[in-house]
Amino acid sequence: MLRSLCSRLEPQSLICAVTRGMSAYSPHYIEAIFSKKKQLNLKETDEYIKLSHLPIKAAKNDDSESIFYNELVNKMVNYITKGGNKKLARELLTKSFECMKRVQIERMNLNPESKDTIIADPEQLLIKAIENSRPLLQLTAIKRGGVKYQVPIPVTEKRSYFLAMKWLLEAAREKERKVHLPEKLAWEVLDAAYNQGRVVKRKNDLHRQCESNRAYAHYRWS
Amino acid sequence: MSLLTRLLERNLRNSGAGARRLYSNHAEEESSATKHEFADEEFRVLNLRSTSQATQQKRKVFKKEPVQPPRHQKMATDQDWSAVWPGPRTFQPSVVPLPLRQGYTEKGAPPPSKFANAELMKIPNFLHLTPPAIRQQCEALKKFCTPWPKGLETLENCEKRFPIEIKSTDYCHALPTIRNPEARRVTLNIKLSDLKFDAHAKDKFLRLVGDRYNPNTGILTIVADRCPLRKQNYDYAMYLLTACYHESFVTESWESSKSEADMEYYSFERNKSKQSAEAIINWGQPVEEAKKLNADHGFAQSVEQLINEGENVYNLGKYKEEVLKLLNISK
Amino acid sequence: MLGRHSFKLPRLTNMCVAYSTAAAEASVEQLYNRPKLTSTDYRTAENNTKQHSAVHEGKFYTLSPEQKKQLFSGGGLPRQYEQQIKTFTEACLMVRPTSLELLNYIRNTDFTRPVVRYVLYGENGVGKTLTMAHVLHYGLQNNFVLVHVPWVPNWMKRPKETVNATTQEGFIDLPFDAAAWLVHFKTQNANLLTQLQLKTSKDYVWTKREATPAGSTLLELVEHGIARIKFASETIAALLSELKQHANDDKCKIMVAIDGFNAFFHPETRILGDNKQRITPDRVTLTQPFLDITNYNWKNGVCVLTVDKIGMTEGYMDSYLPRYLLGKEGFEHLDPFVPLHVDNYSDKEFASCIQYYLDRNWIQKTPEGFDEQLKYLSNKNPYTLMRLTRSL
Repeated sequence: MLRSLCSRLEPQSLICAVTRGMSAYSPHYIEAIFSKKKQLNLKETDEYIKLSHLPIKAAKNDDSESIFYNELVNKMVNYITKGGNKKLARELLTKSFECMKRVQIERMNLNPESKDTIIADPEQLLIKAIENSRPLLQLTAIKRGGVKYQVPIPVTEKRSYFLAMKWLLEAAREKERKVHLPEKLAWEVLDAAYNQGRVVKRKNDLHRQCESNRAYAHYRWS
Repeated sequence: MSLLTRLLERNLRNSGAGARRLYSNHAEEESSATKHEFADEEFRVLNLRSTSQATQQKRKVFKKEPVQPPRHQKMATDQDWSAVWPGPRTFQPSVVPLPLRQGYTEKGAPPPSKFANAELMKIPNFLHLTPPAIRQQCEALKKFCTPWPKGLETLENCEKRFPIEIKSTDYCHALPTIRNPEARRVTLNIKLSDLKFDAHAKDKFLRLVGDRYNPNTGILTIVADRCPLRKQNYDYAMYLLTACYHESFVTESWESSKSEADMEYYSFERNKSKQSAEAIINWGQPVEEAKKLNADHGFAQSVEQLINEGENVYNLGKYKEEVLKLLNISK
Repeated sequence: MLGRHSFKLPRLTNMCVAYSTAAAEASVEQLYNRPKLTSTDYRTAENNTKQHSAVHEGKFYTLSPEQKKQLFSGGGLPRQYEQQIKTFTEACLMVRPTSLELLNYIRNTDFTRPVVRYVLYGENGVGKTLTMAHVLHYGLQNNFVLVHVPWVPNWMKRPKETVNATTQEGFIDLPFDAAAWLVHFKTQNANLLTQLQLKTSKDYVWTKREATPAGSTLLELVEHGIARIKFASETIAALLSELKQHANDDKCKIMVAIDGFNAFFHPETRILGDNKQRITPDRVTLTQPFLDITNYNWKNGVCVLTVDKIGMTEGYMDSYLPRYLLGKEGFEHLDPFVPLHVDNYSDKEFASCIQYYLDRNWIQKTPEGFDEQLKYLSNKNPYTLMRLTRSL
């Protein structure tokens, strides 16, 4: 009975989820294409004719055409931001990158043979760390017969990125007062990039728990 | 109390309504009576309420005068306008033969026409000052004029002979008073080059007049507006100029004790730069052969320029060149 | 069991696709896009500053670790540059045109004439201090006695300790800073001073029991100042006047290098006097000796001074030009001096710097046109370039 009600409500709630009630734009607005390269691409493939009569959202203020622009790094900055102070967040991430790079360059100089194997590009390190700490499964509580079961469910790719970045940041924020966030974040990212450290362990722990709860997996459907 | 009055009021109103009803009944009766009248002619009516003669009389109907067409339609096109409009006067739509429009309307609509247009009547007009009218008046005034003085034909001559320029403004406006407070203001302009000074007097004069002197144009401007009348202000401005001029030639006793910090511009001669530069040049030489640095030396000029004009890349570059020359440093 | 690809996720969001492809592309691009470096383009093996000429302009030369330690262990390089040296595992300085010009002047100096004061000025982060470091290296290699103050505003803005001076009424003494400077002087000049064997010309009586008799070496004087911190300031005064005396007697050549010289003429310091009011720099005992040694009344020496905007406090930082920063008194004190403008990198220097950074792996991301973009972002300002490249 209740489920049928739910299912009847579902389409509406789905629409709500899509329209994003607080958005300034109607749902038929499309995202701005700020990259010149992509714009040219569209022109060449004549896809821009389709877009030319569609209303377009304003580009965000952190979208950039710089050749050093990286979407993932931008996202990370957004996650670090507290209270809208994005300038500080960007500075913190930059410092953290500097720290990582210094560590890696010093490692390189100590050990010149391994020059090709050591990654010193902090962005690459961050990407690698995030890839290494992305979970595949997570546990969710589902109530069956009055008992809540921790049921393993797959994580969407988007959420897995979110969780990875969140965990990295949580690990970096869990520190002594004397240590600064950029340093700690750099350590955590470096650890995760080498598939070690607390964040990767956290991911593995979660996976292990999912594994042990796999008997409940069917509760997802029934 | 208020309740009582309200009750009373209601009663009164009710009674009024009753009266009206009574009246309307009566009217119906009357109309039915007239019907009878039509049915059979020559029915003598019994006039019970004998109405007085006065009320019987018809009311006097006021007949409106027919509106005359506007006067300008009757006016000849070659008439003498100054006879029609000899002096300042409020705007008259019927007299002015112009299709004027003025006033605010909603967007798209034309401005209201001149008839019954308060906007046109509000503003002062110069219809009495048409060029022919002015010409006429000038002609009339001509017999009182004297010829233009000889030797003042050109502007330069005027400026040379009358270096002081006085400006004042007359105002024409629609206020109950014809006196505008701004009209008393008198502005006196004079080129500083027309006044004769020595160095001290000029410096003192400039200090006295302060920001009334514009160094870019070289013109001194004195504005007087503290007296109620223009004449008084004019006198005051002239007095100020005279007083400042003569005061600037007075040298006070304390002026001799002016120190370097009080100086208005940097002079190489007076400063430590000269001492040190000379000391460096004459290093290791006996006192008798000591060379002197004059103010027209390149180094001295560059220092003066650097400090008087302010620091910039060009002045610094010049200073550097001169120093290298002075100290004999080869590149 | 839980392999990375065990789950096929039905819907990939746009964002994620963008990430993974971008990452893959970037890694490929950078491997192949890295420019080939030829070290002679940006490096020079000529470590002798005396030989530096226009040929070496814009190139980096290496400062040996021993010399770096001798010169700059007590300060003298910006902190971030020290960090850079640690990361790069070598101390390299670029041969800038201004330092070449200055070295040229010094080489051609007639040492029988009074000292010439050279004033380095320029915007923030153009390399005034590093130009001075280059000149100091020249001084070290050419047996100048170095009188080097790493950063004067440190004394005026954040002294370690302030004490009322005992000998001069109403003056403030900075014993710790003075002693630290003496240590710095000793590390820079110990070798040279033992060679030269300069002696004191008169007795210095510190207290009833302590005295430095005439004829003791300057090193003894310095060591006394270090050991007895209380007299460090007076020791500096004595030392500098002795040095000046010796230079006048042609016994040694002196290079005075003072960074942030305008702090001596700043309208006020952050030092509080007796009545809790900020005092002026001329009431600090350290000021007078250093003003004396920058005066023109001696020979066999050269003065290299920098004036710096950040040596001033708020409200006095409008311009970087020397007359403004020195003020009236400072200008009169130094006049006639040779102003030397330190400018941003030229195109050649900029390219050389980028190559050096690539060589040291400091720039990791080299997509096409990265140097152009950095040029526009940094306006070829060395410091800004360093800051911009730290996360790349």
